[in-house]
Amino acid sequence: MSDDTATIERDLAAVETALASGAATHEDPLARELQELALQLRADPPRAEPSFAEELHARMEAGFPAAADSPRGRAEAARARQQAALKRLSAPGGGRGFARRYLLPVAGVGVPLALIVGLIFAVGGPSGPSGGDDDAGGGGVAASDSAGDSGGGRGERTQGQTLSALPRESARAGDKATAAPDTAVVPLEPVPRDGNFAPGQANRKIERSFSLELDVPLDDMARVADQVTAVTNRHGGFVLNSSVNSGREDGGGDFSLRIPSDRLRPALRDLAELAPVIRQSQEGRDVTRQHVTAKDRLQAARAERRSLLRRLEEATTDQEAEAIRQQLDLVAGEINGLRAQLRDLRLRTDYAVVNVSLLVAGGHDDNGGVGGSFDDAVDDAGGLLVGFAGVLIRVMALAVPLALIALAAWLGTRGLRRRRRESALA
Amino acid sequence: MNSPYRRNKGVNEALAERMPVATGTDTETFAALYERTFPRVYAYVASLLRDRSAAEDVTAQAFERAYRRRATYRKRRGSHEAWLFGIARNAALDELRRRKRRARLEAEPEDTGALGADDHADLALRREAVRAAMTALDGRERDLIALKFSAGLSNSEIAKVLELSETAVGTRLHRTLTKLRKACHE
Repeated sequence: MSDDTATIERDLAAVETALASGAATHEDPLARELQELALQLRADPPRAEPSFAEELHARMEAGFPAAADSPRGRAEAARARQQAALKRLSAPGGGRGFARRYLLPVAGVGVPLALIVGLIFAVGGPSGPSGGDDDAGGGGVAASDSAGDSGGGRGERTQGQTLSALPRESARAGDKATAAPDTAVVPLEPVPRDGNFAPGQANRKIERSFSLELDVPLDDMARVADQVTAVTNRHGGFVLNSSVNSGREDGGGDFSLRIPSDRLRPALRDLAELAPVIRQSQEGRDVTRQHVTAKDRLQAARAERRSLLRRLEEATTDQEAEAIRQQLDLVAGEINGLRAQLRDLRLRTDYAVVNVSLLVAGGHDDNGGVGGSFDDAVDDAGGLLVGFAGVLIRVMALAVPLALIALAAWLGTRGLRRRRRESALA
Repeated sequence: MNSPYRRNKGVNEALAERMPVATGTDTETFAALYERTFPRVYAYVASLLRDRSAAEDVTAQAFERAYRRRATYRKRRGSHEAWLFGIARNAALDELRRRKRRARLEAEPEDTGALGADDHADLALRREAVRAAMTALDGRERDLIALKFSAGLSNSEIAKVLELSETAVGTRLHRTLTKLRKACHE
């Protein structure tokens, strides 16, 4: 094998030497024969006709012009006109036409493209990484602010704006709405309306409950807690239970309030004015059916009792009277139970449950926000980068397979074309 | 504007502003490449096609293609000559495929070299023997011989054109020359 390789190298070197020197002088006969063959092959090349050589040379110097009526000729003419137009536009006064002809189409394509990219960033960008976290802080405040614009000043982060629309929403019976940080107050579907009660009827009995989370500075915790109690008392409500902690580590407070339904709107407004609202939710449950049922049963029980009393007066024997008394006792028990049920329902509908949570300001700001501190900026930048990476990954998920397919197709086409060409030599 | 290649031939409007005939490098113009390679490109194409008329068409086509694509030349593809001969080879193979038949040399290329009366007979005999031996080669071998001796490319340039390694080119070349030598003796 090595001998073959050596022979090949020797012969190839001999051929190269002969081609360079123009003489076959190798001492080995076989190598010399190859040298002569190489010289012979080189000495006898096909030569072009002088007329063809001159013609092609002229065409080359002219830049290989195409015939005017050929597709390439027409394309070249169009390109030349375009270049001439560009040249004219480059002259003074030509800028307006240039802008109209080129910048407008570019802007027409570029602006929508930029808008789409912006939309992608807005939707899948910064909010992406923290979008699933409902406990977000600052962002929620901003959203709540916008929700509150309908009832108060616009564009300002002022206390109490957030819930200014709440009572109005809650006035609709059966509404259930939750205002998370990222969402405004959205009334949910009304509870199923069965029975004989038309929606919006004045005598409907609605059991309402509200939750508020207020953003309270730690130093202000005690004052706001007092204010919560004061607001509750001022509107005729009462504090069912409360807990307040002003410690630096676990500061905060929770209040469970009962506020008369007819005073609910101003009470909520006053509560929302105590501190910025982080989060709010409301829930309504229509209990009119239970109320009416209990009321009807109570009337029926009373009627029965009256009837029993009449029968008792007319009783002639002791046994008969005793039996009626026993029935009266049963009816009386039923009446008492229904009265208690009605009292409970009335209490629940006449007084709304309001749960107020006081959260220490800044303690919930882990998910970004509108704060201006360096940490906030770093968090925002991180969120932006993560959002951008998310968009990039989505784009890559589409682009990479497409690119791989295109590459495979290109390689396949190239190989196929090459093979077809080579087949001409087979 | 003062470029020697910016000429207004008045052929059509497209030619009014002719670009410099450059190959993509600053050091060498397309015209210089053309001047240097035209005879060899023609010789190579004619050797492959064995048809003078077709060889002229394909040679013109190859230079025109190269001119149009001169901006796509990259050094990693090899020398200018390897790039140009790659284009010429593709054009010739396309022509071969298009015609669906083996090209036949309609007329022998004229030997313009002046030969002495005594040398003429001996050279003619040897030339005829080589030509006869060439018919024993297949298309790929003739292509290799044409690239080496008609086009005058080095083995590394041939390797670029054929997309082979230089060693493979050397081995094939040796095998083909040996085959040709044996055919000359038969």
